[in-house]
Amino acid sequence: MKKLCLLLVLILAFGLMGCAKEEENVIRFATWDSEDTLEVQKAIAKRFEELNPGVKVQVEGYGDGYDQKIAAGFGAKNAPDVMYMWDFPTYQASLEPLNSYMDSDESFKTLMDDLYPGILNYSTMNDNVLGMPVGYTSHVIYYNKALFDQAGVPYPEEGWTWDDLREKAVALSALGDDVYGFAFATSPDPYDFEQYYWSFGSSYLSDDGKTMDGYFNSEDAVAMMQMFSDMVKEGSALGAQDSISNAFRGGNVAMQESGIWPLDRHIESIGEENLGIVSLPVAKEASSVINSSAICMAKDSKNKELAWEFIKFYTSPEAVKMRAKIDLPVLKSVAAELNYTNDPFYKPFYDMLETADAHTPAFLLNSEYSKISEKILFAIEKIFVDSVNGEPVDVKAILDQAVTDSAQFFE
Amino acid sequence: MAKASAKFRIRKEMVPYLFIMPWIIGFLIFTLGPLLFSLAISFFDWPIVGEPSFVGLGNYIRMFTKDEMFTHSLMVTVKFAIIFVPLYMIIALGLALLLNQKIKGQSFFKTVFYLPSVISGVALSMIWIWIFDFKYGVINYLLSLIGVAGPNWLGDPKWSLVAMVIASLWGQGTMVLIFLGALREIPKEYYEASMIDGAGPVHRFFRITLPLITPALLFNLIMTIISAFQQLTLALLMTKGGPSNSTYFYAMYVYNNAFKHFEMGYASANAWIMFLIILALSLLVLKSSSMWVYYESEVKK
Repeated sequence: MKKLCLLLVLILAFGLMGCAKEEENVIRFATWDSEDTLEVQKAIAKRFEELNPGVKVQVEGYGDGYDQKIAAGFGAKNAPDVMYMWDFPTYQASLEPLNSYMDSDESFKTLMDDLYPGILNYSTMNDNVLGMPVGYTSHVIYYNKALFDQAGVPYPEEGWTWDDLREKAVALSALGDDVYGFAFATSPDPYDFEQYYWSFGSSYLSDDGKTMDGYFNSEDAVAMMQMFSDMVKEGSALGAQDSISNAFRGGNVAMQESGIWPLDRHIESIGEENLGIVSLPVAKEASSVINSSAICMAKDSKNKELAWEFIKFYTSPEAVKMRAKIDLPVLKSVAAELNYTNDPFYKPFYDMLETADAHTPAFLLNSEYSKISEKILFAIEKIFVDSVNGEPVDVKAILDQAVTDSAQFFE
Repeated sequence: MAKASAKFRIRKEMVPYLFIMPWIIGFLIFTLGPLLFSLAISFFDWPIVGEPSFVGLGNYIRMFTKDEMFTHSLMVTVKFAIIFVPLYMIIALGLALLLNQKIKGQSFFKTVFYLPSVISGVALSMIWIWIFDFKYGVINYLLSLIGVAGPNWLGDPKWSLVAMVIASLWGQGTMVLIFLGALREIPKEYYEASMIDGAGPVHRFFRITLPLITPALLFNLIMTIISAFQQLTLALLMTKGGPSNSTYFYAMYVYNNAFKHFEMGYASANAWIMFLIILALSLLVLKSSSMWVYYESEVKK
């Protein structure tokens, strides 16, 4: 019995010795990709391992549950070393500022010049650069040329206005009961929706993020939401509770506002010759929201030097090119090399990127944005849902109500 | 020798506790522990990313005075419970009565009636979304056959809660079996005696059946009330609380506060208030039970 115990203890000791060795050259990289796009990430990680022998990159694809998993990781003080990030305001205290790494690295200066201006704002909080932009999309209008031809409506052109859009939408909706000129999601992402506010000369919050009254419910905003509500009521725009992309591909919606995500499937469904892309229409100005993905480093990472090397590689032209189909390149050189700035399908996205510096989205301005945006969403939703169901809509009252309900978050 | 027998005696008394030790440990670690921990953090402002700070009763005060979503979600849940609980029990009892009849295929029907509760909530939600579809759903199609224009079930704030009730009512299962067991317990002599005296089926139901299954009624009532207040899955997947917050249940309010706004302390306070509400309702039902529940073993005063 005693001899058996001794043997067991020895075996355990040897086993544990193997585990006790410090994992010095492994970094964990978390991404919100899954399936096809995850393969691209794994390829990039492999290439990094090739260039840096002895190093291992553990790619963790979290898919849809990304936000929850990252929150849980930070909460348990077990966050990945490097990860995709968009919610900089929430996590700013837990991320490593990259300023010192960037300044001390000469080779990085060329990369910084290659970056489109304004996009760094999206990953900077209080002058701390918390993430390197690795991809973006702006928003454009997709339109179905076949439906336009059928209705005899001229195609939209750069610099067109919201009144133009409404006119075309009315004419296109006349094609049939099931055809709509445009579509609004009844529950849009407030982050994306703010671009309409900018276009009409307003915004969710004041520039310092401290005031909502007079901005979210400004006269311009009321006029805009009234127009949107009227479009839904008159039938020129669909108030959509399901996927607008599906409705577009099915020929039920002639014009759709979106980012780069549905581009490939649209081309597949309605054909390249039927798909048109144009910048967003102008009200008081032309503006699009930028959805920027950035890659960041955890403050608690045990392998910061290695993590920085990975970030550098990830933002280099080589890696950016590998990702060109899932994230639009943020480097001017790569965009020019792939001819994205001239390709009619990609040019509007880059034109809209030029406007990135003009506005800062509300989510970067106020730390309580998550709760404020919920009230904003309720207001937008109420306006669209009541319009869809033919109820009377008092736009000003609904917007005012959101401001009142959000007052508790500004104290 | 004396020492050995004393040790043996102690060990003998410990044995029952050792047998239930696995359950006790599980209960402490996974139920009581987290319960007490959540009570503790309900007095803190505890963002999941960041440092917790003590706020005392601040969370509770905020819930009752400043947060209109608290009252709104509570109202939605109460409205749902008022419609759902009686309907659910009536349907369960009805199905149990049907199953109690002496007809062929009893076990087949028992299985079929129990199936809904076995299907996962996610799969159910997907199916019901299609059934409730405004243009192509089965319900609106059947209604159109009798000339009624079906409403926009999941898109109209006036009808969405009704849709939730219908989808929830479909999940019959355990309650039916409990009622069936209670029905089987009723001695046949009572029915035979009453039939000799000339009692009709309705009379027999209200005077014999119903009083004798009141213990099962009590249990099912409490269980249904609890589950009504904890409704989440269907709403989360079918309507996400919409349209326009018409199906924003209290459980969704807690969930959003915890995982969308990362306010763990506030969400814990929400959860404890829900616990207190359900506890109060259950106690109310139990206290009133002495007036209407009849146990065969006791003599009614």
